[in-house]
Amino acid sequence: MNNPLRSDLPAISEIWVYLSGSPLLALVLTLSAYLLGLTLYERSQRNPLANPVLIAVVVVCLSISLLDMPYAKYFEGAQFVHFLLGTATVSLAIPIYKGFASLKGRMSVLLLSLVAGGITSVLTAVGMARWLGVDESLVRGLVAKSVTAPIAMGIAERVQASPTLTAIFAVSTGILGAVLGRYVLDALRVKAWWQRGFALGVAAHGIGTSRAFSVNAEAGAYASLGMGLHGIVGAVLIPQAVGWWF
Amino acid sequence: MIQGLVQLFIFQALGELVSKFALPFIPGPVLGLVLLLAFLVLRGQVPASMDTVGSSILQHLGLLFIPASVGVVLYLPVLQANAWAISAALVLSVVATVAVTAGLLKVLAKKD
Repeated sequence: MNNPLRSDLPAISEIWVYLSGSPLLALVLTLSAYLLGLTLYERSQRNPLANPVLIAVVVVCLSISLLDMPYAKYFEGAQFVHFLLGTATVSLAIPIYKGFASLKGRMSVLLLSLVAGGITSVLTAVGMARWLGVDESLVRGLVAKSVTAPIAMGIAERVQASPTLTAIFAVSTGILGAVLGRYVLDALRVKAWWQRGFALGVAAHGIGTSRAFSVNAEAGAYASLGMGLHGIVGAVLIPQAVGWWF
Repeated sequence: MIQGLVQLFIFQALGELVSKFALPFIPGPVLGLVLLLAFLVLRGQVPASMDTVGSSILQHLGLLFIPASVGVVLYLPVLQANAWAISAALVLSVVATVAVTAGLLKVLAKKD
């Protein structure tokens, strides 16, 4: 008599086909790559260069090319994670609201600096990239890169830029800001924590904000305020500006 | 916890509706953010369950943009060809943005 367990056991390749047809593989891949990134980030004493998202993106990219899985197939499964971006954007209202309490009548000063910083960010990135002859298909991805990634990707869709490139540039900007920010602030002799934090949040959104929180709580609170306000102001102004500039 | 998630989804849906029918140039989730912010200001506090859900989502914000970022595999050739110029533009831009924002804050705050 045949061993029922044996004969019913599907070949490994069949399990493989089944798994890659369901969203599970992409989901597990995404979540475990992120966990690996987080672990390495903690091990490095939260060094901004060991950014968990960057590590996870590299790991997932390598894995799907090893598995010969097309990006569209991967995204089909990973879209369940992607969907929450909108919800996360809405939740940004919470830290902004909490930040209002510590404003002490600084709102107009903050808004002015934010708008100036936002304009600087777009003009220098796009200007420099064009001057260096960067391919025009990439240049559009730069316009929203200082805005927090979930909002930046929404802006990207409205200015016919690639959300993917925008996300990549946003993450790179966040890492660069978290690494370089303190040297710029020291050179300018900016000492007040709230000013240092706000500038980091405006220039380097979430990654700059978590850097600011790890240095000083007041800097962190102002950084999340800067990030949130830049998101709102950017979402309103950037598509308008792109309309007449491009 | 579920209550907080539902509240966030409702504001997200409201934002999408306003974006679709009134302000198509602003992304729906950003309008949801603004509506929620107005709600919180009117209410005077953050509902506890919304605070729990919102904070945990924001704590792992990075996870949520991995799927889109992995799309970078489609752009590798063009990114490689422009790698140095793009890096230079990103570095210059972030340094200038920090400098202008912080510099202006410092000058304006002194005037008060």
